[in-house]
Amino acid sequence: MQIILLTASLAVAAADGQQPTTIPEMWGAWCARCHAADGSGKIDEPTVNVEPMDFTDCKVTTAEPDADWERAIAKGGPGVGLSPQMPGFEDSVSGEQISAFVSHIRTFCKESEWPSGNANFPRPILTEKAFPENEFLILPAITHEREYQIKGVYERRLGKRSMFEIGVPIESGGVGDVDIAFKHAVHASGYRIVSFGLETALSRDTAVFEPFISAGTMLGNWYLQGQFKVELPVDRAKADRAVVYNAYLGRDTNAAPTTWTIGIELNGENHELDLTPQIRKGLTGTGALAASVGVMLPLNEREERGIRWVGYLLWEYLEPWRARK
Amino acid sequence: MGRILALGILGTLACAQIAFAQGSITGTITTSAKGTAPVRVTIDQKVCGNELPDEAIVVDAQGRLASAVVILTGVKRAPADAVVTNEKCRFGPRVQLARPNATIRTTSKDPVLHTTQAQLENGRTIFNVALPVPGLNINKPIGAAGTVRLSCNTHPWMRGWMIVTDDAGAVSGADGRFTIDNVPPGTYELRVWHEALKGAPQKITVVAGKPTEINFQLK
Repeated sequence: MQIILLTASLAVAAADGQQPTTIPEMWGAWCARCHAADGSGKIDEPTVNVEPMDFTDCKVTTAEPDADWERAIAKGGPGVGLSPQMPGFEDSVSGEQISAFVSHIRTFCKESEWPSGNANFPRPILTEKAFPENEFLILPAITHEREYQIKGVYERRLGKRSMFEIGVPIESGGVGDVDIAFKHAVHASGYRIVSFGLETALSRDTAVFEPFISAGTMLGNWYLQGQFKVELPVDRAKADRAVVYNAYLGRDTNAAPTTWTIGIELNGENHELDLTPQIRKGLTGTGALAASVGVMLPLNEREERGIRWVGYLLWEYLEPWRARK
Repeated sequence: MGRILALGILGTLACAQIAFAQGSITGTITTSAKGTAPVRVTIDQKVCGNELPDEAIVVDAQGRLASAVVILTGVKRAPADAVVTNEKCRFGPRVQLARPNATIRTTSKDPVLHTTQAQLENGRTIFNVALPVPGLNINKPIGAAGTVRLSCNTHPWMRGWMIVTDDAGAVSGADGRFTIDNVPPGTYELRVWHEALKGAPQKITVVAGKPTEINFQLK
């Protein structure tokens, strides 16, 4: 009813030449009041006391999926854990118009080649995500024999499509093998992404080079992600070659950044196979903090390998983790 | 037929008796404070004008204060919904009473983007809705009792207040006068609220059948 009213009002107003009728005109008349005509958020006389995001910064404009932007416009800032000074438009514009606003915001990034945030899927516990991220992770793992490993991982985006990471594991026996990795998104289009990468484990015995491919897409409302990796030790007398393959299928339970995400992974290393049901939760309104927990259930050699508890605590360190008032 | 007529007359008499048994409270709110200076408008002057009165303190030459709220503790009123209108870049009314969990209807008559942000005293936002075109009506629940501040994110001078309570109350008019009708006889505490000034609560004894006068001086 409200939408019909708006449409009618716009039609009348348009006839008077007063009201905006196209998305760019609406942006200019409404959104530009805080976000500026060019999307930079820089205006001479701001009427809010929170500096809006700079949509001309492609890192900002491209990193998140359409659904997050649509929720921010529909529900206002609090819908995605951001400032309540951003009002909700769900009662005044249609869903189609909200989607068009998101497309318009994306145009403020003038550079090509940035992968779309629509391919920025929730991280599985073991499958390497294809989308490059700025994250800090703590990944604990506990075996049924109470042996543990806690791995700290620092990830940093490089340029438009690349990412560097360093991981330091602490194990029951002390500090484990440090690994460094690099990945690059070679294909990113809409809801599909493919990345190639190289991980190097700096073992005390021998270095192990681990080239991999990661990919992700959507199947309806389900996230499908996969990774294939080979482990190639420099000295084959000190470490074995291995083939690692992971596949993940999961979905969110709602559209908020605080959503629960349920999923299951199939994890393989050579002939060993595990199934890892898992659950993930955004811990803050923006989703910049998130945690996941799962259990690796061996599908073969069950008695020798036993179950293993795994998970992560994730911090997107360049994202605001809570709203400013 | 005769019985029905007799019952009707009895009922009318009973209602009149109940109404007669009620009292009312009336009075004037004054202050020695000066009215606030007008606000210079720097945006949307076509709609808002170049200058708007700052309605934080609206007082006449005799010191009579508008938009003060008098609340009678202990006398409950039936729930009522409230309407807030964005018109010429001001909230109308500036101050009003609303009942807990009432539905607030916010609307706009201006051809510019307004927002209605409702916040509690602790800063928590109850809702913030955009009103980009005139004639739009948006309904939102106001929540529990408390003092709710209304603001517009595109016109920072715009301010409105809702005193959310299920107690009886009244808002003083331009002449500083207020009236609370249908008050059962008894002794009550009468509180006064104003967005910029303060006044002490007073005890009042209401008697049946006539108004009880009480005045407040706010500082």
